[in-house]
Amino acid sequence: MLNNGKNVLIYIMNHQLNPDSWVDAYADYLYRYAYTRVSSAEIAEDLVQETFLAGIKGLASFEGKSNERTWLTAILKRKIIDFYRKKSTSMEMTLENNDDRFGKYGMMNDHWMESRAPKEWQINADEELENSEFKSILQACIQHLPEKWASCFILRTMEEMKGEEVCKELNITASNMWVLLHRARLQLRDCLEKNWFK
Amino acid sequence: MDTKGKMMITCKEATFLISKKQQDKLNTIEKMQLKMHLLMCKYCRRFSIQVNFMTRAIQRLKDKVEERGVKIHLSEEQKQQIKRKISEVNK
Repeated sequence: MLNNGKNVLIYIMNHQLNPDSWVDAYADYLYRYAYTRVSSAEIAEDLVQETFLAGIKGLASFEGKSNERTWLTAILKRKIIDFYRKKSTSMEMTLENNDDRFGKYGMMNDHWMESRAPKEWQINADEELENSEFKSILQACIQHLPEKWASCFILRTMEEMKGEEVCKELNITASNMWVLLHRARLQLRDCLEKNWFK
Repeated sequence: MDTKGKMMITCKEATFLISKKQQDKLNTIEKMQLKMHLLMCKYCRRFSIQVNFMTRAIQRLKDKVEERGVKIHLSEEQKQQIKRKISEVNK
């Protein structure tokens, strides 16, 4: 544990002399963390690199209160949030109302269209949740969510940020957030049905 | 989505409530509306089961990938590149 200035200094010097060990020890972990939360391997790689660079710069603020990995992960989390925040300002958060899953006229207005309605899934939860093929399909479905829904969905469900925090970061209202989350789920459900439960 | 003051809600509204329920508590009226709707609608019953399953699956994916997703990793070359970048900055 580092609890005084001298130790911090020694710590910084050691790691500045040998940052390679950092990469070997934590790069894969951080990469995996990022990979599940952004849409491409390249972006994940960039975020990991930025995390290490920010880590080097910010070493002085690391006081050994948490372990290194936790500390680096916290930096990475911030990078992911920033990544989505930048995205959300550059896109229009329009909440279009025409969803062809649901009918538009008369009795069927806003009720499931038969062709788009959920089909029966043979869910074998214990098996699926451990099945690596299923997991990679789920992963791919999350990564293929349209950006405008993905940011909200990932921050809320994967990062487990509080609703208010997500709204603040993405600069959206709470009711917009619920709609975006719902859109993401509808899309994700379609994707799983098409690619796994067919 | 405003479902106040209605006994019967549409599938569009019901699916929204099912979605919302994943992260927030529904109020008493919403709960009743959803319950009534699910009694009558097999598609929304399916939707509900499926969305609950998805929530579990995502939770699992999130918890495990970090530790065990061995297949997801950086190549040696990529690591070298990061190391080079760090040492440039670190000079």
